[in-house]
Amino acid sequence: MSMPRVNLVVVGHKDHGKSTLIGRLLYDSEAIPEQKLEEIRTELKQTGKTKFEFAFLLDSLEEERKGGLTIDIMQTPFKSKKYLYTIIDCPGHKEFIKKMLTGASQADAAVLVVSAKEGIQNQTRQHTFLIKTLGIEQLVVAINKMDEVAYKEDKYQETCKELEQVLRSLGYHDVPMIPVSAMKGDNVFKKSEKMQWYKGLTLIDTLDKNIIPHTLPINKPLRGVVQDVYQSEDNQEIVVCKIETGTLEVGKEVVFNPSGKKGFLKKLLAFGSSKEKAEPGDSVGLIVDEITAVERGEVLSYPENQPGKVKKFVAEVILFSGIKIENGDELIIRYGTAEKKCKVEKIISEIDPVNLTVRLKNPEVLKEEGVGEIEFLALEPICVEKYSDFPELGRFVIKGKRGTAAAGIVLEVRN
Amino acid sequence: MENYLQELEKKSIAIIREAKAQFKNLAVLWSTGKDSTAALWLCKKAFFGKIPFPVIHIDTSYKFPEIYAFRDKIAKEWGFNLIIAKNEKALKEGLSPEKGRLKCCTELKTEALKNLIKERKFDALILAIRRDEHGIRAKERYYSPRDENFHWNYKDQPAELWDLYVKPSEDYSHMRVHPILHWTELDVWRYVKEEGLPINPLYFAKDGKRYRSLGCMPCTVPIPSTASTIDEIIKEIETSKIPERAGRAQDKEKAYMMQKLRSLGYM
Repeated sequence: MSMPRVNLVVVGHKDHGKSTLIGRLLYDSEAIPEQKLEEIRTELKQTGKTKFEFAFLLDSLEEERKGGLTIDIMQTPFKSKKYLYTIIDCPGHKEFIKKMLTGASQADAAVLVVSAKEGIQNQTRQHTFLIKTLGIEQLVVAINKMDEVAYKEDKYQETCKELEQVLRSLGYHDVPMIPVSAMKGDNVFKKSEKMQWYKGLTLIDTLDKNIIPHTLPINKPLRGVVQDVYQSEDNQEIVVCKIETGTLEVGKEVVFNPSGKKGFLKKLLAFGSSKEKAEPGDSVGLIVDEITAVERGEVLSYPENQPGKVKKFVAEVILFSGIKIENGDELIIRYGTAEKKCKVEKIISEIDPVNLTVRLKNPEVLKEEGVGEIEFLALEPICVEKYSDFPELGRFVIKGKRGTAAAGIVLEVRN
Repeated sequence: MENYLQELEKKSIAIIREAKAQFKNLAVLWSTGKDSTAALWLCKKAFFGKIPFPVIHIDTSYKFPEIYAFRDKIAKEWGFNLIIAKNEKALKEGLSPEKGRLKCCTELKTEALKNLIKERKFDALILAIRRDEHGIRAKERYYSPRDENFHWNYKDQPAELWDLYVKPSEDYSHMRVHPILHWTELDVWRYVKEEGLPINPLYFAKDGKRYRSLGCMPCTVPIPSTASTIDEIIKEIETSKIPERAGRAQDKEKAYMMQKLRSLGYM
């Protein structure tokens, strides 16, 4: 009854059929109630469309359906034999970087959709680059629109070959590639009769076989982030922490950084009871002996393995529209629950996410929607970590007036 | 509790605590339905038993008597600060669904809330909407800003990465916080069962019918059902082919009605 859950992001060049593929997955897995289908059929009739469109299952905004394009991300659950998937659809159009990253940052795995008819296009490379940057290692490719190339094997092989090169250059190896027609349903849930030459699994069976659900990083050193501090009824300080990695146990000595405050964990509070230990994902109340004035934003750990106080760090940064970064800029970054001031010490490079090359070395400015490597100087004590060591504390966002304005992945730290 | 329910709960509690830490004047909306009752329970858990902010009930005056009875009973038992939002002016003028559902919902729910927010200066509201309820709600973020007129700019929503819920410094009037956005209808019922939460009797079948989603009396119809216990409801949903909000008139009067309602600030 409780199947493992997998979040799946679907990416690919515009009009290569992402929404149609998702619609097909939802339809064939019977995730859409019959009455809903009936509503959609009626609406199609009302709006003068004759053909049933799978994308309609996803695109719920009026503008999306009338314009035939996806405006914002969408998350919908469907079931296979093995997993309960939540599928995240990302628009391939305007301002897609911001939306795509919003979707992809929640994903355990990605499906890249490539049209067999058009082959690799700009966004094919760009999306793959972005999901790799975000640290999504599990990838499956759907070579779509096989019906439009008469289900020919050579067309499939050609696309695969071209794609393998791109994937390899980004560090993806042995990626399964399935020839499908989302429109007609070939090799999505049902094995296609029209592609006898293809001996592999359908898309859904490939996903079931290859994807591993997210596991809790229990065996790593302890890290937690302080969300808030409450006063208990008997006037004790309750430090509320979200555990990110490792296991927190009562009785042990803990330390908060960057303040360096230390104490023994007396009690772990849950509602109506107390606990002996807490695991990643838990948001728990700590009563720590002889400790006062811990603040939101601090990082919890054991004294044996603490995050360093970082003076400088290098990060790969992806800017959304409406923000540019110049050398010398002072910015607020948010990692964990901390918001800290940093200075742009040096823009090391600007990366061309379409051609996957360095466009400029040491540019003065990183333009909106640009991607680049930046060296930051911490203007107050900061405890970010290398993404490869602690992803949970190695990713950050840059704050803009409207909230999140850019995403960052920490590549190097200097203490 | 089953593992996956724990995961859902943990994430929701963390989000509620984020909202409390970041906003000055927070409140939670409670319709007395299963979702917002579960969200209220999560708020209780997040603050070790006592919800430290007001609970708002929007009263259209067209609700079922069972809703009022349930509301008053739980408010007393759980001991929170209940605020009732009512658009007295529109009601005095005799507004009802017959005058048009879009207008009725907007005036009696959205406007009532708008007035209250203005008066009490709330800068964030916790709402128990879920992605699987409606296509348009599936587009939501955990933190979803609204302007003074409650408009939801769904075409240009801010980014939301990982679990870094960021409070913007400007360009919003209040924040909608959606801690159970990632739950499904079935998850909520399983959680209700697991936690032994009180449930409005309207959800249980009587004479072959039950309400699957609660709204105002004139605009909510029951579904045919024999499910008279939580276990039976869970079983029914597991096999049902009918969408949850099938009995809610405002969703389907016209195409895109829900989109229009929501862009005007509807929940």
